[in-house]
Amino acid sequence: MRSAISKLSLILLLSFTACSQDELLNTEPDTSITAGNAFTTPSRILGLVNGAYDGVKNASFYGGRYLLYLDVRGEDFINITANSFTGFESWSNSYSSGSNDINNLWGAAYTAINLSNILIDGLSKSTGVISDSLNKQYVAEAKFIRALSYYSLVTIFARPYVEDQGASKGLPLRLQAETTSASNDLARSTVAEVYTRILADLDDAEAGLPDAHGSALLNTTRAHKSTAIALKTRVYLNQGNYARVIEESKKLVPQTTAPFSTTFGVQHKLQNIVTVFSSDYTTTESILSMPMTDLDSYTGQSSIAYIYNTNAEYYLNPSGIFGDAQWGSSDTRRSFLRLSSGRYYFQKYAKPSPFLDYIPVIRYAEVLLNYAEAAARTGNTDLSVALLKAVHSRSDATYTFAEDALGTEANLVNTIWKERRIELIGEGFRSNDLLRTLQTIPAKGSSSLQAAAVAPSAANYIFPSPNSELLTNKLF
Amino acid sequence: MKHLTFLTILLLLFLNVLAQKRRITGTVTDKENNNPVPGVSVKAAGKAAFAQTDAQGHFSIEVPEGVTSLEFSFIGYQKQSAPLNGASAINIQLESAASGLNEVVVVGYGTQSKREFTGSAARISSAVIKDAPVQSFDQALSGRAAGVSIASPNGVLNNPPVIRIRGINSISLSSYPLVVIDGIPTNTGNISTSTAVPNNPLSDIDPADIESVDVLKDAASTSIYGSRAAAGVLLITTKRGKAGKSKVSYDGWTGVTKAARLPELLNAQQYMDIKNEGVLNARILGGNENNPAVASALYFPSYREDGSLVDTKWYDYIYRTAISHNHTVSLSGGTKATSYYFSANYSDQQGFVVDNSFKRKAVRFNVDHEATKWLKLKAGGAYNTTFNQSQNTGSLPNSTFLIIGAARMATALSPNVPVYNADGSYNLNQTSGTLGMGNNLVTNTLFNAAALFDLSRYTSENEHFLGNVGATIKLLKPLELTTTYSLDRLRTETVAFQSAKLGSTAYSTGGSVTNVTALRNNWNWTSTLSFNQTFGRHHVTALAGYDVQKFENSSWGAAQSKASDDFFEEYQGSWGAITTSGNGLAEKAFISYFSRLTYDLDNKYFITANFRRDGNSALGNDTKFGNFGGVSAGWVLSEEKFFHSNTINNLKLRASWGRVGNGNLPGEYAALNLYSAALYGTAATWYISQAGNSNLGWETSEQTNFGVDLGLLDNRIQVEATYFNNDVNGLILSTPQSPSKGIPNNSILLNVGSMYNRGIEFSVNAGIIRKADFSWDASFNYTHVKNKVTALADGNADIIGYTHTSSETSNITRVGESIGSLYGAKTAGVNPENGRRIFINKNGEKVQYSAVVKSGETNWTYLDGTPASAISASDYYLLGNALPKWYGGLSNNFRYKGFDLGVNFTYAGGNYVMNGTRSTLRDQRFYNNHTGILNRWTTAGQKTDVPRVVYNDVISNGTSYPISDNVEKGDFLRLQNVLLGYRVPASLLGNSGISSIRVYAQASNLFLVTGYTGTDPESSSNGNANTTPGVEKNAVGQGRTYTLGINVGF
Repeated sequence: MRSAISKLSLILLLSFTACSQDELLNTEPDTSITAGNAFTTPSRILGLVNGAYDGVKNASFYGGRYLLYLDVRGEDFINITANSFTGFESWSNSYSSGSNDINNLWGAAYTAINLSNILIDGLSKSTGVISDSLNKQYVAEAKFIRALSYYSLVTIFARPYVEDQGASKGLPLRLQAETTSASNDLARSTVAEVYTRILADLDDAEAGLPDAHGSALLNTTRAHKSTAIALKTRVYLNQGNYARVIEESKKLVPQTTAPFSTTFGVQHKLQNIVTVFSSDYTTTESILSMPMTDLDSYTGQSSIAYIYNTNAEYYLNPSGIFGDAQWGSSDTRRSFLRLSSGRYYFQKYAKPSPFLDYIPVIRYAEVLLNYAEAAARTGNTDLSVALLKAVHSRSDATYTFAEDALGTEANLVNTIWKERRIELIGEGFRSNDLLRTLQTIPAKGSSSLQAAAVAPSAANYIFPSPNSELLTNKLF
Repeated sequence: MKHLTFLTILLLLFLNVLAQKRRITGTVTDKENNNPVPGVSVKAAGKAAFAQTDAQGHFSIEVPEGVTSLEFSFIGYQKQSAPLNGASAINIQLESAASGLNEVVVVGYGTQSKREFTGSAARISSAVIKDAPVQSFDQALSGRAAGVSIASPNGVLNNPPVIRIRGINSISLSSYPLVVIDGIPTNTGNISTSTAVPNNPLSDIDPADIESVDVLKDAASTSIYGSRAAAGVLLITTKRGKAGKSKVSYDGWTGVTKAARLPELLNAQQYMDIKNEGVLNARILGGNENNPAVASALYFPSYREDGSLVDTKWYDYIYRTAISHNHTVSLSGGTKATSYYFSANYSDQQGFVVDNSFKRKAVRFNVDHEATKWLKLKAGGAYNTTFNQSQNTGSLPNSTFLIIGAARMATALSPNVPVYNADGSYNLNQTSGTLGMGNNLVTNTLFNAAALFDLSRYTSENEHFLGNVGATIKLLKPLELTTTYSLDRLRTETVAFQSAKLGSTAYSTGGSVTNVTALRNNWNWTSTLSFNQTFGRHHVTALAGYDVQKFENSSWGAAQSKASDDFFEEYQGSWGAITTSGNGLAEKAFISYFSRLTYDLDNKYFITANFRRDGNSALGNDTKFGNFGGVSAGWVLSEEKFFHSNTINNLKLRASWGRVGNGNLPGEYAALNLYSAALYGTAATWYISQAGNSNLGWETSEQTNFGVDLGLLDNRIQVEATYFNNDVNGLILSTPQSPSKGIPNNSILLNVGSMYNRGIEFSVNAGIIRKADFSWDASFNYTHVKNKVTALADGNADIIGYTHTSSETSNITRVGESIGSLYGAKTAGVNPENGRRIFINKNGEKVQYSAVVKSGETNWTYLDGTPASAISASDYYLLGNALPKWYGGLSNNFRYKGFDLGVNFTYAGGNYVMNGTRSTLRDQRFYNNHTGILNRWTTAGQKTDVPRVVYNDVISNGTSYPISDNVEKGDFLRLQNVLLGYRVPASLLGNSGISSIRVYAQASNLFLVTGYTGTDPESSSNGNANTTPGVEKNAVGQGRTYTLGINVGF
């Protein structure tokens, strides 16, 4: 008896150690990979490249809301709902450091920056997995993403470059991959330093990017050589460096008279504007856009199509560009407006849920207008007018500009600015066009909601720095 | 009603049973002093025979044939059972329960007598729990034990309560105690994947099945649970059968619940007046006084067909009188070798928010069997389904600012528009489906609550099996081997549905439905070898054990939208688009080796030592294992020869020290740098999803405890006083990273920081009056606890706590202060000159704010009108500690003849609460306001605490970020529970076969004495979160419940 019990007990005791300790305690997830496995195959590295673009596509960033903030700050939209979750604070210039938009946008842009930095860092250490030329291309793409992100931040969170040639405080310039708890504190570089880095990155990107990718979809959703050049025209325009705008523009727009088109790589040119925004998002006009698919799109307040169109939270300010004679009634671009109860709502992003309209980042039309402005500023009126007319007549062939509107440099520039408001409405340009030229943000409003004018000297001329950064970065 | 009929039939059946009887007499005396004890209940075990002792302690009882033993019970004494063995006279000596030294204390992996026990623990008995109108037993423990703070975060059914044993003992890990049910550590917290409907898995246990809840508080008692025990341990023991005749009992109650302390709102006319005043003020301040393009009024009345003004009381559509009922039947008994307990429960409870409900169906069995002299087997299992349903109330963590939050809608929706149109359809904005604004010229972003409730549904349903099987083998005489395998398998299905119809939030997406199913498979295998031997004056016990626990969590689901027809309300219907939702797959394991040694000499000197080594799969490669343990000692001074006292009959000193850990990491793979995959359009992506810390090690807590137990006046009064000090080191901190680093979630888990909780606990239990017909017992407990953070990451950088959104910086954890103190902008009232809110900036200067200014002016100015910088986080101040410094309970139990009365108070204080709801009640958008807004500033020189109303002002009242004006003291006294019961005299039951009937009426949360002006000072918008306590914002308060119940024994 006793021995039987003892035997039984022995068996039980032995079974104590039956469970393998290593197997139980050394667990790894089945739905993600560890850092050591990230750069191990060509497809994973390509996935990391796409992941960095996806960082740019964050809902708060080029997924759409960044565009919304920049548009509604200007004078062309009237807010209806006074809802701080759909851009009201931007519309009314009342952001505080605690505002969700401010903190979310800052976080999203810097996340994209870190994704690029991780990519650059990983590619520099990766050998033999992908070819050197592909490695170089991916680094160029990462640098493009970093430049786009820094540009997007520096133009809203820092004083305009032209105000003091970039002498004021800009942004913490993060260029290292961050995956540890070190280096929370980093002082802000000056605006000029940030611009220098952006342009250096874009020059590198131009050098490393391919002339074209293998498909129209990739040409629109990933950066190629022209994408970096196009962004440079925008950056130089912000600096008021018209000579460089022209220099870069010429690469994409070698002609001096219409029709204009790029003659290497992707043959960028203007297309039917309605097509660009409704049926073919990957024409050669769309230099860079954020793709939307059933499985990867935004909904509700994360989608600007929802805010502008479905939920109708903004309408066109009758005394904004909507009422300007330059935007004629036969202009095709009026089809982006929808009349309801006496108000015109904005439907450039017209698809109902699921909201699958691509969100534009860079279009060829913008490059033409950047070029036109720089040309006007440097006395090349004929070219400037030709570029302007190319953009305008594409949508309103019968329109003729008043001679006065094109007569002087100031008038011509003014007319180009108006054209930008018409052509690029809802694509995130208007308020920055005011800031980069140090103009007052005009007052606007309806009978129920008003936003006061904001002079360039005012603190809220730019966005306030986010609390989340102020609280963690002691050198900020 | 069905149940009553059933009961009546049962009653009639039993009445027909007749049996032979005999009479037994005897005397009951007190064991300590041999005095007769009057009023003792004498019952025949298992049969309907009942008597009471008279003033001389005599009793006489007629018992039916077959009765083999009698049971004697009286408040203040231990229950005793005496075999009859054919005798007709029997004398009994009752032992005072209060002496309690032989009472059993359940400790980890075993039991000890209270005399032997040298740690710190509290026991809460089934009586407190079983009749409470709650969903889960933990909600019923409020105020019942010293050192244990239990608060309801909101009034939605089946929310996990906020439980704190001796304060908050972690920053980033859970501070919820380890809950061990019959040996297996189980899942706790809210397991619902929806922010609308909570789901506390502890509600899967029928409270009536619980025999006792033992709360282990100090390290000496918890360290046997090593790494899991830093926040204390709740040991739940379910009921088991005892040898003797079968006993059947039925417990049932039915109750109503109503909302309590709802704020008084403006009526339609007042609403229009105030809002239009704001509109006009904005027009004037904006310099548009003479601008015809700017309106001076936007709010206009709507009228019903009969010409009367529409004045909607939204409370009537969001709150209701809720009805609940609960029934438990149990059967227990056994032979000498085998005993059993079986129970079944049905609970159907309604919440006072429309559409909120909870249902449970549960069965349980527990069996014990002594197979041979050396082998004992035990098994138990409970299977149940629970069903939770609720609209989104905005009360759960991370739902504070959702526009569909019912609590906010109840106060914010415009009263001057109707719920329904004249044709009976919902009053809706035809574009967005939000509430139609009638003649008001403004747009509203909130939904019509009645339509929204109709068109949405959120449920979370559990299917749960919790079972165990075990054996105890007696080896050599003092040696015993016990092994237990437990299984806790919980399947949850959470469903969110929003209709495609106008008025639903999913109107724009053509409706949506999301189903997520989760399986939590948790098993635990524990084996212990124990030794128990007395050598003369020396008594030694030893325990060694091995424990493996594995958690396997898997969840998956999908969200569908674009209903092909608005008929479809279920996932299985026809939908046009689908994406994944709620996917998760993870496993976590603990491996532990533990031991305990106890020694006592002469039953006077006691020493216990524990040691445990734990491995946790979630930690870094080289840091997975941690060592934990504790020692404790006790000295029963009153047993010493030199000790003589007439008043003090028991005096025990105890001391303990120990080291425990917190293994509740927020993720299963916290040590790893992880990359996850997603899509960029159609292209596959990888991206960093977690910045891990490969050196992540154990968070440990060193706890010291000194106590004294005192028994006075024949143990009629028992006092326990304890000093404790918990030093928490190596705190695992979700350390905030600068967002400019772009690290996922801007945080990394690091072992940095430390803090302490120090305090005293004090409890008194007193049998104040014990007479034949009347007794009064009272119990009081008090805890004082001081929390202080002593070190944090990166040069002691502050940690900001957010309530739902990044703009609501409601709390701060700062070195030198208590964890999660309130945080926000400091205000200094209202400028009597112009009605503007005055803020104090970081330099201590006064700045004032005007929501609307003329072009060219600034919103922020110094009091002299010169421009000032806007208030930002760098101007925020710590606004007060959010943790109660003192708390406790007072319960009184009276008995007069067949009546019993229980009155249970709870109290807490020394803390501040952010009354964030007040900012909503003063919101200057289209929201309706509390009547307090009528005191707003209107004329120069007026002194008031309510700023001038300016339309769309979201700063002055704390709408955009927290302000100190909304911080209030949180001290309160609550009448938690009052219960009046009546035991039907046995004589009336006659030969029915029913041995006892007790009926009772009970009221919960009957009143609250507090200076706090919000709904409830115990509210917590962030639930159990450690770093964001003390915030009440847009949450539903606690209801007030009245119940009627019955306990029947057969």
